[in-house]
Amino acid sequence: MSQGFDLVMLALLIGMAVAVARSKDLIAAAIIFSGYSLVMCLLWQHRGAPDVAMTEAAIGAGVTTILVLLAIGRTRRREK
Amino acid sequence: MNRGLIVFILLAAAVPMLAGVAGLPRPGDPQAPVHAHVAAHYVKEGVRESGAANLVTGVLLNYRAFDTFGEVMVIFAALAAVTGVSSVPPGQRPGESGGRNDSPRPVSPPISPVVAFIIRCTAPFIALFAAFVIFKGHVHPGGGFQGGVILGALLMMLSVVFGRGTRDPLVPPPLAAWLQAAAPLTFAAVAVVGVLLTGYLLGFPGAALGPVRTLMMIALELGIAVGSAVIILGLFQHMRGD
Repeated sequence: MSQGFDLVMLALLIGMAVAVARSKDLIAAAIIFSGYSLVMCLLWQHRGAPDVAMTEAAIGAGVTTILVLLAIGRTRRREK
Repeated sequence: MNRGLIVFILLAAAVPMLAGVAGLPRPGDPQAPVHAHVAAHYVKEGVRESGAANLVTGVLLNYRAFDTFGEVMVIFAALAAVTGVSSVPPGQRPGESGGRNDSPRPVSPPISPVVAFIIRCTAPFIALFAAFVIFKGHVHPGGGFQGGVILGALLMMLSVVFGRGTRDPLVPPPLAAWLQAAAPLTFAAVAVVGVLLTGYLLGFPGAALGPVRTLMMIALELGIAVGSAVIILGLFQHMRGD
C-alpha cells in the first residue's frame, strides 16, 4: 500500500517532468511544474518529512511558479 | 550536435550515478553510516539538550546553528546579487527620456475585483497560519523558513492588491533594506547573547535556563521568518518591475 502510493507518485512525477519539457506553451509548462511540486510535496509528507513538505508547497508550488510566470510575462509566451 | 553523441554522454553520466545509488544503504537501515555517528545522540538527547520537541528545529538552530547562519547569509547574498545584477541604472529605464529603450511600459491592467476580494478575505487566515508555523516551529513541524515563506507569499498577494508600483510600496525601501537583513542580524545578536551566557559564539544555555533558551530560539525563528518573507517580497517586486 505504502510502496504503491510512492510508485504512483513517482510515475506522476516522471510524466509531469516529460510534459514540462515537451510543452511549447510556457505558461502551461509553469502550471504543470507547479503541479510537479505539489506531487513532490505529497511524497515528502508521505515519507515523513513534513518540514520539507511545507517548504516544497510554499516555495516550489507557490513562489517559484509566480516568479516563473512573471519572467514569462516579460518575454514571450510560446517557445519557438 | 548529433543525437548519438548526446545519448552517449547522457549514458556515460547515468551509469556511474546509478552505480552510486545501487551502493547506498537501504532506506531506514539502522546500520547505515548516517545513523551510526551523531544521529543516535540527537534522537536520544536532542529534546533534553536543545529544548526543541521538533528535532529538526533542534538540529537546525542549536546543534547546527553555524550552518544555518551561513544559509541565511547565502539567501541574503542571493537577493543582493539578483537585485544588483538585473537592476537597470537610472536614466536607462524604459519610459525615461534618453533611455536606450524608448517604448512606453505597458500599463498593468487593473486587478480583478474577484481576486482582490478573495485576497482580502483569506489574508488574515494566512497571516495566522504563518504566525503559528513560526512561533510553534520548535514544537511542531515548521519553523522560521517555512513560516517566513508563507508570510512572504501573503505579502506578495497583498502587494498585488495594495502597494503597487514605486510610488506606493508595501514596505518603505529604507525599512525593507533592514528587514531583508533581519535573519543575519538576529543571528549575530543571538550569537552575542550566547557568548554572554555560555562563553561560546551561538552557544545555547542548558536546561537550567530553559525559558531563555526557548526565547533565543523563537527570536531566531522570527528573524529568519521576517528576513525570508521580505526577501521573497523583494524578489517578486523586482521581477514585476517596481
